[in-house]
Amino acid sequence: MTVSTTAILTISRSERKRGGRLFRSPTAIVAVVWLVGLIVASLTAPLWLRYGPLEQDLSAVLQAPSAAHLLGTDELGRDLLSRIVTAAASTLALAVIPPVVAVLITVPVTLWAVRSRRGESVMNRVSEIVMSLPGTVIILAFIAAVGTNMPLVMTLLGVLLFGALYRIFFGQAKSLQKQLFVEAATVDGVRPLVASFRHVLPNMSTTVIVQFVLFFGVAIMMQAGLAFIGLGPQPPEPTWGGMIQTASRYIFQQPWMMVPTGAVLALTIIAANALADVLAGGAATPPPLVALRRKRAKSASTDAAYVVISTPAPTSASVPLEATALFPVEPITDYSDAVELAVGSPIASDAGTPSGVVASEGELIVEDLVLGVDGGPALVTGVSLRVRPGRVMGLVGESGCGKSVTSYALLGLLSPGLSVRSGRIQWGSVDLAQADERTLAKVRGHEIAFISQEPSRALDPMFTVGSQLSAAVRRLRGVGASEAKRVSGQLLADVGIVDPPRVLKSYPHQISGGMAQRVAIALALAGSPRLLVADEPTTALDVTIQAEILALLRGLVAERDMSIILVTHDLGVVADLCDDVSVMYAGQIVETGSVRDVLVRPEHPYTMALLAADPHAILDFEGTTRLASIPGQVPLPASWSTGCRFAPRCRFAQDECLTTIPLLSRAVGDGGVRCARRGAVRGRQEEWRQPVTIGGGEL
Amino acid sequence: MLVFVLKRITWAVLTLLVASWIAFVLVHLSGSTPGGVALGQSATPEQVYAYNTEIGWFDPWIVQYARWVGEVLQGNFGVSLIDGRAIGPDIAKRLPVTAALALGGTLLSAAIGLVLGVVAAVRGGAVDRGITVLTGIMLSLPAFWIGVLLVYVFAVQLRLLPATGFVPFDVSPERWFRSLVLPVLTIAITSAGFIARQTRASMAESLAQEHIRTLRAVGTPTWRIVYVHALRGASLPILASVAIQFIVLFGGSVMIELLFALPGIGQAMQAAVGAADLPFVQALVLVATLVVVVVNLLLETLNRTLDPKLRTS
Repeated sequence: MTVSTTAILTISRSERKRGGRLFRSPTAIVAVVWLVGLIVASLTAPLWLRYGPLEQDLSAVLQAPSAAHLLGTDELGRDLLSRIVTAAASTLALAVIPPVVAVLITVPVTLWAVRSRRGESVMNRVSEIVMSLPGTVIILAFIAAVGTNMPLVMTLLGVLLFGALYRIFFGQAKSLQKQLFVEAATVDGVRPLVASFRHVLPNMSTTVIVQFVLFFGVAIMMQAGLAFIGLGPQPPEPTWGGMIQTASRYIFQQPWMMVPTGAVLALTIIAANALADVLAGGAATPPPLVALRRKRAKSASTDAAYVVISTPAPTSASVPLEATALFPVEPITDYSDAVELAVGSPIASDAGTPSGVVASEGELIVEDLVLGVDGGPALVTGVSLRVRPGRVMGLVGESGCGKSVTSYALLGLLSPGLSVRSGRIQWGSVDLAQADERTLAKVRGHEIAFISQEPSRALDPMFTVGSQLSAAVRRLRGVGASEAKRVSGQLLADVGIVDPPRVLKSYPHQISGGMAQRVAIALALAGSPRLLVADEPTTALDVTIQAEILALLRGLVAERDMSIILVTHDLGVVADLCDDVSVMYAGQIVETGSVRDVLVRPEHPYTMALLAADPHAILDFEGTTRLASIPGQVPLPASWSTGCRFAPRCRFAQDECLTTIPLLSRAVGDGGVRCARRGAVRGRQEEWRQPVTIGGGEL
Repeated sequence: MLVFVLKRITWAVLTLLVASWIAFVLVHLSGSTPGGVALGQSATPEQVYAYNTEIGWFDPWIVQYARWVGEVLQGNFGVSLIDGRAIGPDIAKRLPVTAALALGGTLLSAAIGLVLGVVAAVRGGAVDRGITVLTGIMLSLPAFWIGVLLVYVFAVQLRLLPATGFVPFDVSPERWFRSLVLPVLTIAITSAGFIARQTRASMAESLAQEHIRTLRAVGTPTWRIVYVHALRGASLPILASVAIQFIVLFGGSVMIELLFALPGIGQAMQAAVGAADLPFVQALVLVATLVVVVVNLLLETLNRTLDPKLRTS
């Protein structure tokens, strides 16, 4: 399960949206209007300008703006407005040459290089050399040889831009080429180059257009620069660069002169660059993975934390909890008391008011946790969990059910754009859902630690294992450098690494995935935490390594009296390691209870389906039956219904499933089930192995 | 490691040969000949022909090119066609001016760019959008125009700094510094945007890495995550953008040098191009390419020390 739930946040930008993006962006509209307006004004200049660009008036030299000369005059009394506007058409027309030349050379070369191994190696070298040529100097040398023939100079600029453009195009074309549909087209017998033109090029069109516009701006800048140093079109022909050069000579007499020309030049290049930015989809970058600054939940009632802290914990509060146990045994008949709560009526509260529950030392109580995308849908609604010291709680479900987000929230590790909307994460006397950064910093690593799902990416590739581990040990245990080094080695030995000194000196890319996960676990143990949150710790590993890591975790629980929240989609892992299990579906907990109860006597159709679909088939004693498949997929957060969210995929679903269903206590054992028909479906998990008629199989 | 060094040096030499060959061919394709340029308008065609024959202008190109390379390898770049100066010593005298300008400009734009880029990536939201607009404007501004504006404000109006001119370091370090302030500031204003954008993109990518969550989970302080881990992860592309900036400034300092009357490489290039001083142009192309090649080699070496994956492979 590498698909992150936060993928909901990334807006997919298809090539087709380009046009829409252009016309929805005020910046782009202004930029286009400016560029087009400049060209139109320039081409129609003789029709509306009062003065010709070369018309001298020695009685009105170096004038500031006036009614007669809107932008003033130059040293020969020529109208600045007229000269600026006249120069625009040729400047912009010439500026089209470099991008056209560069694209015309680069696109065919890229498509060839992408297809042929030899082409790739040849073109990579050629582009490397072209990129190493000093562009401006070569252009000047060219002017020395050929003279100031601007179309030719601009063509050369286009050729020189090939090196950079090829790098950009090749990178993208290569990744596109690898995509299946292009490969498929070639397998279908379409000629490779034809396939490239048909499938690769259209998908590169945005990149091509963006680079085209950027190079257009570069070309304007280059023309102005050359004219400024007197190597552009020769006077008296007006050029922007030449006019700025003149202005710089008269800066003591008439400083105004440099303003209009420079402003027009700058605005034109700004317009081109802004247009490229918009076309490229803004300067789009991936959002940071973890919020660096914590936004306080808007619904945060500060007195919630207050009340909890002021409650004399844990003696008084733990008594009623002990009495009611984790999950009430007696069936709750009054639904209203138990709405959305796993823990039952004694802990139940009206929404918004703190219930005053205090978790005892080393105990985690999650109550009614609601997580959502800021300004978007909720991802997790009303999740409640209770993890007691020394217990292992499994959090199971398909991808996209909100398991990982829930686990991130426990440590305040949500990505920016996601936040806790309501509910509490009670750890001892602290509500982590409302805690500020300072409080969280005291908890993270010290009391609750975290292991992420991809060990190979969980460690910073730029630092050695030893330096990362030592830094954590020093901070979390407050020890010196040499002691931290010793502890680091000990921690690695504790997690079963045979040669700690070697691993300490290694960089993350030098060790295997299983080894990296051991290191990540050692890192998590650096602060001797009471609770370990493990987000699919074995998913990315080989089966044999998985077993070793699970054995390691089991050992840790036994030795250190640590509790674990284990996020997984593997029921085998749950059966292997967990004491309790909570099954999540579409942002809700649909069934909780002890592992024995939930896996052996599942009461929710979804749990039954998961079990019937598990290839390890822990309950398939006969070993004959077919594997179940659950039709459909987990609904997206925005599309959740008010009734049972599993109903559309459930073979037992009936009309009563359309109403809101609370978490009710299990028929057998402690825990809860969120199913309107739990009485009717009990013990029928084998039916999931039959072909399914979706929704209302009993009708 | 040895293979790597040999490979890179081979490439560097090849690049130098290609660039100098291009310059050589350009010189020979041009309408002017050394004799025509050196002897001026008044010379008769016979005199020009005799001059050109004497310097071997009519020998096969490959012979002439080999001869030029041979001379250059001995440190001899020939003499200027215009005033007979030895080209090598003249370039050597100009190099420190351009180097100080390019280095100062690069360092200042790197400092500004880093701050802007990191702040944009870390703060996000409105700050990010504001900085993106600012850097977009910065990288669109023509340097020579900003230079003129700065001269107007600081030299003409406030009279704080000299408008133009250059004082060598050994004459007066203080006046040397003052003569470089405005050019360097001009460069920084127009170049910092590029580095800022690269920094922002790399930092944002770096902050989106999975290991940031791990660091967070072990209680690493925010400043340490940003400035030690994320910045280190983003350092390679940022360094590359700084190197590119230096290369661009070194080759493209012509406008700045002319505007501020600094006797550097760029000024010589403009004069040589304007007067068709062909051996001078050829020498300058070689020097400019050498700078690019050396900077690229330095960058690659630095990359290998910074990136453990490159270092240990």
